[in-house]
Amino acid sequence: MNTRAGALWRKVDPAVATAFGCIVLLLFLGSLYSSSFLSPEYLLQQLKVASFLGVIATGMMLVILLGQIDLSVPWVVAVGGMMSTAATGWGPTGEAFAIPFGILCGVALGFANGFGVAYLRIPSMIITLAVNAVAQGLMVVHTGGFSPQDSSSAAMRFIATGHTLLGVPNALLVWAVVGGATVFLLSRTTFGRAIYGIGNRERAAYLSGIRTQRVVLLTFAIAGGLSAFGGVLLAGYASKAAQAMGDAYLLPSIAAVVLGGASILGGRGSYIGTIAGVILITLLQSILSVVQIEEAGRQVIYGAVIIAMLLLYGREKVAR
Amino acid sequence: MASPAVPLFSMDGVSKRYGGVKALEKANLTVEAAQIHAILGENGAGKSTLIKIMSGVVAPDEGRMLLDGREIQFASPAAANQAGIVCIFQELSLVPDLSVADNICISNPPKRFGLIDRRAQRRIAEEALARAGAQDIHPMAPVKDLPLSRRQMVEIAKALARNPRVLILDEATSALTAADVAKVFVVLKRLRAEGLALLYISHRMHEIAELADQCTVFRNGRNVATYRAGTKSDDEVVELMIGREYSHVFPPKQALAPSAKPPVLEVRHLSWLDRLKDISLSVRAGEVVGLGGLDGQGQRELLLALFGVLRGVSGEILIDGERASVSSPSAAKAKKIGMALIPEDRKTEGLMLPMSVSVNLSFAALDRISSGGIVDRAKERQLIDEMIELLAIRTAGTDIPVGSLSGGNQQKVVIAKWLMVKPRIILLNDPTRGIDVGTKAEIYQLLRKLAATGAAIIFYSTDYDELIGCCDRVLVLYDGAVKRVLVGDEITERALISSALNMSAQSEGADMASATSA
Repeated sequence: MNTRAGALWRKVDPAVATAFGCIVLLLFLGSLYSSSFLSPEYLLQQLKVASFLGVIATGMMLVILLGQIDLSVPWVVAVGGMMSTAATGWGPTGEAFAIPFGILCGVALGFANGFGVAYLRIPSMIITLAVNAVAQGLMVVHTGGFSPQDSSSAAMRFIATGHTLLGVPNALLVWAVVGGATVFLLSRTTFGRAIYGIGNRERAAYLSGIRTQRVVLLTFAIAGGLSAFGGVLLAGYASKAAQAMGDAYLLPSIAAVVLGGASILGGRGSYIGTIAGVILITLLQSILSVVQIEEAGRQVIYGAVIIAMLLLYGREKVAR
Repeated sequence: MASPAVPLFSMDGVSKRYGGVKALEKANLTVEAAQIHAILGENGAGKSTLIKIMSGVVAPDEGRMLLDGREIQFASPAAANQAGIVCIFQELSLVPDLSVADNICISNPPKRFGLIDRRAQRRIAEEALARAGAQDIHPMAPVKDLPLSRRQMVEIAKALARNPRVLILDEATSALTAADVAKVFVVLKRLRAEGLALLYISHRMHEIAELADQCTVFRNGRNVATYRAGTKSDDEVVELMIGREYSHVFPPKQALAPSAKPPVLEVRHLSWLDRLKDISLSVRAGEVVGLGGLDGQGQRELLLALFGVLRGVSGEILIDGERASVSSPSAAKAKKIGMALIPEDRKTEGLMLPMSVSVNLSFAALDRISSGGIVDRAKERQLIDEMIELLAIRTAGTDIPVGSLSGGNQQKVVIAKWLMVKPRIILLNDPTRGIDVGTKAEIYQLLRKLAATGAAIIFYSTDYDELIGCCDRVLVLYDGAVKRVLVGDEITERALISSALNMSAQSEGADMASATSA
C-alpha cells in the first residue's frame, strides 16, 4: 500500500540511516586495509560478538526509552556470569538451571534499581550506580576476591559458541529472539506504549491512568535480566566467569543505543537503530584492535563518537 | 495632558498578541509619581501582559512607553530594573537555598576584587529589609526556612534594593497573613510619600479601596476606565469589568428530569492541606456543574483531588451513592468509577507532543482495546477513526506528531482520548483556554451531547461566559471553599464576578466589612 510505504519511509530515522551508513563506511575502510574484512567468516564472527552486546544493549535501550539510565550493567553482567557458573558447580540440578538462575539474579538486581527509581524517587544515575557497587561487593564476597573457579555449563557454551544451521552462530539466534520479543513488546503491547509514553511525558502518562511506577519497576527488572543474560552468554563464550567481565559493556551499551538514534532524554528510538548501533560499535572495536589501537585509545574514540552523535541528534529535543 | 507636569510613566497605544489572541490592544496608562495606582480587571483582561511589558519580560508589538517623557524600550527585565521599573511577581522568585541577603542582591551583588563583598551585601540587605518594614528577618537566614508570608516580605525588600521609581505589585499580598498585609500597607504608603509610583494589582477590592489613589479598569486587553479611587461604587466597578462582546454560541440547556437515583458523583467534606476547605458537592447524570471564581482559588486542586492525583485528601467520595476510594488516575479511570480528567495544560499533561495522533488518542483507553496486554490494532484503528470523525479532528493523518496540530485540534485529541474510555464522570480543567472560537463552540456542543447521554460533568472555566452558557449549576470557589452556588437563571456575569470577588450580599466577614466601608 502506498500509504504504508510512505509511513515506513517516514519512520526511517536519519540517525538510523547514518548508523548503517557508518557501518558500510567502516567495512569499506577496513577492506582497504585487508580484504578479509569482507569475508563471511569475519562478518559472522563479528555478528556473534555483537550478539553479547546486543542482548545487553536491549535492556539499556528499554531503560533509556523511559528517560532513565542503567549504570549497574558492569556488575549485573558479572553477576549473571558468576551465578550461572556457580549454579553449574552445584551438580546436575544446578547445571540444568544455570541459565535461568543467572538471569533471575539479574532480574532481582533490576528490581532493586526499579524500586529505587519508581517508588523511592532516587535518580536512576545514583541508584543504579549504588546497585552496581552492591553487586560488586556481593560477588567479591561470593568468590573471596579470587577469580571464580566454576566453569560454564554445556548449555551455556552451546548457546554462546555453537553453530546450527548453515553455520549461523547460536548467539546470533539468541539475539534475534531477544530482539524479536523486544520489537513485539515495544510496538504491540500496552506495556511498550507505556514505556514510550513515560519517556515522552511522564506526567501525561500518569494522568492518562497508566501505572507509571509499575512500568518503570518492570522495565528495570527486564533490563537487569537482559544484562545478566549477556553475562551468561559471555561466561559460556569464555567457558568461565571473571571478576570484571562486564566492565567493558557499560559505555558500549549506552553508545549503541544513542548511536542508533534513541533520544538519551527518553521517549524516542527504535530497535532497528539499536541493532545498527551494536553492529557499529562492534565493528569499530574490531577494526580498532586489528589496526592495533590499544584499549585506552578505543575508549577515547568511543567517547568522542558518542559526543559527536549527541551533538547531531540528542539536542533536538532540548532546542524545541 | 491635563496635568502640567510630565507624568512619571506612561504607555501609549500598546498592543500585544500571542498567536491569534489579543492580550493587549491599544492600551494606555499614565502613572504619576507619589501615587498608588490600582489595576482592576477579571481573568484574561490583559493585566499580566501589561505588567510583563512594563517590566521588560515581553516586548510590545506596537505602541510606546515613556519614562519622564522620554521614550524607552526594554530588552530584558534587567534593563527595566536599570531604568527604575521593578516588578514583584505573583510567583515567588527567590532561590530557597540561598540566604536572604544573597537573594536580595542576586542580580547585582556588591563586589570587591571580583568577589562578592558579603559585608556590603549584608548591609544592603539590612537596609532593604528595614525599608520593607521587615527588620525581624535575619539577612543571613536561608530563604527556605522562612514561612511563605515572610518570603513575600523578602521579595518586597529585594525589589526595594533595586531603588525603583515605579514599583509594580502583582497580587503581592495574596500569600500574606492579615497582620503582614497591614504591615505591607504601611510600607507602601510610606513609599508613596517618598515619591514612588506604585502599580497595585489585586483582586481584593477592599485592599484597593484602602490603598489606591487612582484606579484603571482593564477589559479585553483595553483600558476601559480610569477614575479617582472612591468615586465609583463596587457595583459600578463590576459593571465596568463586565461587558465583553462575545459571540459564543451555546447549545440550549436541557432540563434535568427528576430522578430517584443517587447522584453519579457526590463529594462530602473534601479538604486538602489549606488549599481545599470542606468542599461538598454532587453531580447527577446529565448535569453540567461549573466551577467558578478567580484563578487559583482551589478549582484545579479540587479536580486533581477527585481524580486521585493528590495525596492526603480527606473527606468522602461517593460514586452512585456508594463510597469509593480513588487513589490514583488509573483507579479513577477503572470501569467501576469511569472518571476522566481533561487536564489544564494539554502540552505537558494531556499529550505526548512528539508522538503520533493515533498513539495519543488510544493512550488512555489501552486497557479497553487490548487483551492480555497485547493491543488489538484493528479495534484501535476503528475507535481512532470513530473519534476523529466524532470530534471532527482536522489532521493530515494519524501518524503525524500530535504537536504539529493546531491548538484547537490538539485539545480535541485530549478530549477524544478520554471519550474513548467511555467515561461516566468527566472533569474538565479550563478546556477552552487558548483555542479558537469555532472549536470552543464545538466543545460546548459536545459537552451538552455528553450530558444528554448521561454523563456527569464538572467544568472549570476561567471564562465566565462559558459558565453561564454551559452550566446547570455553578459553584463559586474562593480561597479553597465553596462561597456560593448559583443555579439556573442565577448564573449571571454580575453574580459570578461579585461572588468571585467575595463581595456578594450573602458573604460575611472582615473582607466584606472593609469592602463596604470604603
